Amino acid sequence: MLRSLKHFLRESWLLIAASFFFGLLIAATNAALSPRIEMNKVTKLTSLAAGLLTDAKRFVPLAEPVEVKTRGGKTEPVAVYKAVAGDEVVGWVFKVVGSGFADKIELVAAVDGPFEKLAGFDVLASNETPGFGDQIKEMSFREQFMGAPADRFTLVSTGSRQEIDSTIVAISGATVSSTAVVEAMNLYLPQIKEQLQQKGLIGDGN
Amino acid sequence: MATNPEGQMGLYGDAVVNGLWRENPVLRMILGMCPTLAVTAALKPALTMGLCVIFVLVCSNIMVSLMRKGLRPHVRILMFTLTISTFVTIADLFLRAYVPKMSEALGPYVPLIIVNCIIIWRAEARASKSGLLVSVVDALAMGAGFTLALSILAVIREILGTGKLFEIQILPTTFPAWAAMGMPVGAFLTFGFVLGAMNVITRNRS
Repeated sequence: MLRSLKHFLRESWLLIAASFFFGLLIAATNAALSPRIEMNKVTKLTSLAAGLLTDAKRFVPLAEPVEVKTRGGKTEPVAVYKAVAGDEVVGWVFKVVGSGFADKIELVAAVDGPFEKLAGFDVLASNETPGFGDQIKEMSFREQFMGAPADRFTLVSTGSRQEIDSTIVAISGATVSSTAVVEAMNLYLPQIKEQLQQKGLIGDGN
Repeated sequence: MATNPEGQMGLYGDAVVNGLWRENPVLRMILGMCPTLAVTAALKPALTMGLCVIFVLVCSNIMVSLMRKGLRPHVRILMFTLTISTFVTIADLFLRAYVPKMSEALGPYVPLIIVNCIIIWRAEARASKSGLLVSVVDALAMGAGFTLALSILAVIREILGTGKLFEIQILPTTFPAWAAMGMPVGAFLTFGFVLGAMNVITRNRS
């Protein structure tokens, strides 16, 4: 027993020591750079949101936590930003995450002040197939959401993209990516709306 | 043990000539094809990729050279991969923190440096058998050779594809930009022509 332990240590001490050292090196670098990386993400999110809510002058993060229950049953915190112009709340902005064809799809969604209509969405990060799934970035797909009710959407394979309602026409050849966007919206919008209502930040719709 | 300064200088000189010409990783050894074809549509991403590879090559060669006496044959490749992946992660974090747009443009090709054959080749062929200084010179030369090759391809593709280089108009505005040069077909064609030119030069010299 002692002999085999000695043999194991003799053969692998460098690997064990190097693993600890490299792990510490990555952890230290990550700790030093992650605030800046997070700040870059927030800057990108708010700059994309500014394109969706053109009246907004600034985006204020909500102090109260908002959480979304994912399909896997986990509860994840969502950073929600209040879009403000002067004293008026002109909208709400938050990150929406869906499960795409190749990887996670990260979107920024913007809704109007009363949380009734979706101002639209833009793509924060996506590794969808060029020419197919990455068409979710194109205006022809995204404009279906602009002004649509901020509630649940239904994905259909054919129809008119000009009609702005809760029906979304999928991208031909990219059903998985289209479904990912619609399912992510359906997951996030009702839950965030409900929590903002509970916090008294928006009306209850009655 | 007495050192031979001329022999040492010859070793460094050889490393430099090998990296830049005789064993150029891209143009002679045909290694690192994935970034060579994927990030050379423009000069900026090509140079960024080159700098990342130089950073990873130098750091991994230093670590492997320092650890070489303790390396056991059966964990050798595991140690190389561990070392390389650590420095690739650090390079990726730095890009995401300081040049987020370039990090997005390079996409998965920075993390893919982990499986770049050039780095593991130099770790195995040079750093695991040589002293620190020779390993560093070798890494710098091979990295410079890689960057030079990527830059040659990127300059040709960017000028013919857009008429510009670094946003500066190079070709007359009447020149019709060849859009195909920015696509994968342009990468393969340019690489083929550059390899052909290399073969002609080599044949004439010999």
